[in-house]
Amino acid sequence: MPVLNVHGATVSYGGRAVVRGADLAVAPGEAVALMGANGSGKSTLIKAVAGLVPLAGGTIELFGTPRKRFRDWKRVGYVPQRTGAASGVPSTAAEVVSQGRLAHRLIGLPARRADREAVARSLAEVGLADHAHCSVDTLSGGQQQRVLIARALATDPDLLIMDEPTVGVDAETQAALAEVVAARIDAGCAVLLVTHELGPLTDRLDRAVVLADGRVVHDGAPPRPVGEHADPGHEHVHPHPSPHPLPKLDGAAPRISFGNAGGGTDADTWDGR
Amino acid sequence: MNLEQVFGYFEYEFMQRALISALVVGLCAPAVGVFLVQKRLALIGDGLGHIALTGVAIGFLTGAAPLWTTLAVTVAASVVMELLRSHSKTSGDVALAMMFYGGIAGGVYLTGIASDKGVANLQQYLFGSLLTAGWSEVWTIVVGGAVVAALMLVLRPWLTAICADEQYARVSGLPVGALNLLLLVTTAVTVSVSMRAVGLLLVSALLVIPVVTVQQFTRSFKATMFAAMGAGLLIAGTGVLASAAKDVPPGSTIVLIGVAVFVATALLAAVVGRLRRTRRGHLPPEGEPLEVELPAKA
Ligand SMILES: Nc1ncnc2c1ncn2[C@@H]1O[C@H](COP(=O)(O)OP(=O)(O)OP(=O)(O)O)[C@@H](O)[C@H]1O
Ligand SMILES: [Mg+2]
Repeated sequence: MPVLNVHGATVSYGGRAVVRGADLAVAPGEAVALMGANGSGKSTLIKAVAGLVPLAGGTIELFGTPRKRFRDWKRVGYVPQRTGAASGVPSTAAEVVSQGRLAHRLIGLPARRADREAVARSLAEVGLADHAHCSVDTLSGGQQQRVLIARALATDPDLLIMDEPTVGVDAETQAALAEVVAARIDAGCAVLLVTHELGPLTDRLDRAVVLADGRVVHDGAPPRPVGEHADPGHEHVHPHPSPHPLPKLDGAAPRISFGNAGGGTDADTWDGR
Repeated sequence: MNLEQVFGYFEYEFMQRALISALVVGLCAPAVGVFLVQKRLALIGDGLGHIALTGVAIGFLTGAAPLWTTLAVTVAASVVMELLRSHSKTSGDVALAMMFYGGIAGGVYLTGIASDKGVANLQQYLFGSLLTAGWSEVWTIVVGGAVVAALMLVLRPWLTAICADEQYARVSGLPVGALNLLLLVTTAVTVSVSMRAVGLLLVSALLVIPVVTVQQFTRSFKATMFAAMGAGLLIAGTGVLASAAKDVPPGSTIVLIGVAVFVATALLAAVVGRLRRTRRGHLPPEGEPLEVELPAKA
């Protein structure tokens, strides 16, 4: 039984269909990338899965239960796209991450030991253990992004949905996060990852689904990086003596082009928040 | 005028009543306000205060106790507001604007009909009249305040979650709609119950000022909440003492003291921030690894 099964999903914003009849299945312990150009509907599809936007057609099943009747949200971890962790009143990183445990807690009851341990562990996993008691709005953008990843990890999910989680995260931390996520995959957690780049996180992918203009145009082997990074002997060791005379950003893996099938829009869009 | 004289006022029961109600409101209003500030709805208390005018006027018209009609009207308004916000395209500030206009107009219109009761009467509620409250009203404030504060303290993690990131809270399976409604209804109760103390037009000051004052110095939500409750208590207490000394209305004194404290601390925070520039609250970035590979030295 797949942990996520999307069948013929259609989502429209004000009459304009931005996801059209998309099919997507994720098996337990499988890591799937969702790729596509800006505005191709990746975030929208993910929001439909998370129940944040209504479906205009098709079905979505989470752990075999239709999404409308699905209540077991503690099995799902979610990292939204570019929201930032800051809000109107200062909150510490630990406070933000502990939101990830609320799905496990009965409303009105205090946090248990397991909750506190999960928060500390996931902050350590993203390398922010020392910043647990810092106010998130004093953290850098990349650090805030890591706080949001830690929040999703703290849920101890069986399905981890991440929408461009590593935008603004440095190469070293991306590699460390990739290890954390790989460990979760080994432990049986399924991953659905929206990404534009093939970086360390994508080394463990089983499959890639490519959207163009709201339709699935590819579902199969993930695109392989070409060049130096494709070399199996290539290792991410920092700092290593560079063969190049000039500094070269690591993690700047080659971009793949998706070829807009439907002549879709290439307008770069921000989500409505 | 000396301190002894000020404390002498508290021989009088009406001063005791005023002090107790002001302290309770000062303690409990920021407990609600901290969530409103986080939700960027700092003006909602003011909006409900305007709506409450209509409630007070209905009380005049029907002869029912204004406290209960106000409660009914503000709770109804907050339910409508939440429904509008979640089920239609009406944005928060548009709904707020409607509350301001509609509330004032309703209040003035209805008091016009019940004109024999006089506008002076309405003024009591607009600007507060702590000194004329009876013991039964004081107990209503104490009980209402205790319920509100207890709810907010127990539900803090859940309310923080819906106020900070509503979409994420939804994906965590939290009852977002119910919690939003609870927060608005609690605000309505706070406004209605505390109108005797600081007045309808000033109540939202006690929701907001203590929170924005202390959050300049705090790093965590929990600390902000407790410190704001403490600050509210102090501001309200000082306000009542000062108003007794000067024989002026307590509501406006409390709010003026709050504003003064905010301005003073904002200046202080700027100075402290400058001094502390070098000692940040968290580790300096030198702990982070180098992002680029430096060219090997030839
Ligand atoms: N809240 C919204 N209201 C109306 N239209 C929207 C909204 N959010 C997104 N859209 C539209 O839906 C389309 C798909 O947006 P979506 O955010 O899913 O793209 P994406 O694939 O995630 O792109 P990116 O790579 O930039 O994140 C875009 O054309 C955008 O204009
Ligand atoms: Mg997106």
